[in-house]
Amino acid sequence: MSRTSIIALLVFGAILGYFLSFGSETTRKFQASVYQLLAPFFTTGSGLQKQITSVRTGLKSLEELERENASLRLDNRQLRATNQALRDVEHEVNRLRHALNYRERSVFKLIPAEIVTRDSSTWWHTVTINRGKEDHIETDMPVVTDEGLVGKTTTVSNTISVVLLVTDENCKVAASVEGTREQGIVAGERVAGGIAPMLDLNFLSKQANLQPGQKAFTSGVGGVFPAGLFIGTVKSFRTRELDGQAKLAPAVDLSQLEDVFVVTGRK
Amino acid sequence: MIFFFILLVLVLGTQIAEFFIPPLDWMYNAHIYIVPVIVFYGAMALPFPLMLGLALFAGVLLDALTVQVIGAKVEISLGWSILLYAVLAGIMHGMRPLFIRGRWEVHCLLTGLCTSAIILAQYLMITFRRGSVLFSREVWWQIGGPGLMAMLMAPVIFWMLQWLARATRYPYLPERISFE
Repeated sequence: MSRTSIIALLVFGAILGYFLSFGSETTRKFQASVYQLLAPFFTTGSGLQKQITSVRTGLKSLEELERENASLRLDNRQLRATNQALRDVEHEVNRLRHALNYRERSVFKLIPAEIVTRDSSTWWHTVTINRGKEDHIETDMPVVTDEGLVGKTTTVSNTISVVLLVTDENCKVAASVEGTREQGIVAGERVAGGIAPMLDLNFLSKQANLQPGQKAFTSGVGGVFPAGLFIGTVKSFRTRELDGQAKLAPAVDLSQLEDVFVVTGRK
Repeated sequence: MIFFFILLVLVLGTQIAEFFIPPLDWMYNAHIYIVPVIVFYGAMALPFPLMLGLALFAGVLLDALTVQVIGAKVEISLGWSILLYAVLAGIMHGMRPLFIRGRWEVHCLLTGLCTSAIILAQYLMITFRRGSVLFSREVWWQIGGPGLMAMLMAPVIFWMLQWLARATRYPYLPERISFE
């Protein structure tokens, strides 16, 4: 080995040691700086991707358009029926609220954001959004859509933030199941083979016997996620040696996600 | 030196591009990784110190864009990817005499294997941190799939980089041009 190679190896070792010595806060700051530096590329790339996708999806055959038209007609009929049902429910809710003198449901302060990039790694489920410190976004803020919970912010730079999705094994959310006293912790699967990954609701009681279709909401325990956010719907339930576990289908279709809201507090 | 900087720019560009490449749902959501192919080409074409430089750059970039920091916990410390890239690129660098003689087949195969090795190493590290070892069919596909794709892409990418190296009059090219 030549002298130049030995010197290069020593310098390399020193730099490697320097990086390995980073703590969590230094890593987060370094990560935020890199994201900030690359933010213009991500934003441009995201715009380009949207243009390409819109051109690709815009080119449809006559047969596809006919099929879409029929499907939209059916959707329209269903929505009309749902709308009527919702009007009835709204009337009933208003009546009950008035009768029981319930407090007006608290509303969150929401900051709208667009998805810039999706996860490029195999083992971590994250997306980046086009909002950061300049928009008063901080670490560990819940991210939602009108359909339900999406995840929480982890690394935040000035104009871009990383969102850890609810489908990641590291995103743990305290949850309760509607119509029961059951509480548990929702976490994503380590490896998701399909397009729509499932969630695990762990630490339920063995007698929980949850039924498919029951809904899980955030319980508010832990302080990161406020109570009442829709997480997912129960698909199956099984008992394990020490606890019960339910499989949930996420409330939000994360593969089609484009716009989200960051919850910055309460109004 | 110009070629080295071109490789750095290409690593940066493809690392960003990877964010916009959707996973392959027909391959159990396996991702496509192009950066390792470029790094492993650099490992064959560049002298040892520059090979280390390229591995350092690619490793820092990969870690900075993918490592998870949750609360006070970093799942895989910043720097592990640098080490992985350097060790695997070192192995590829050891096969340089073959490359100089114009033989590429082994390198294409090794590029695929090394790409899978990076993902396997990441998986083992997170498994060690999170506990409960899981090796399902999905896991194997998500580890093997990117390697397979890298193996298939390698000849084309190597050919393009080779063309770039010639265009920039890079002095350390294979003596035989059997690949072209």
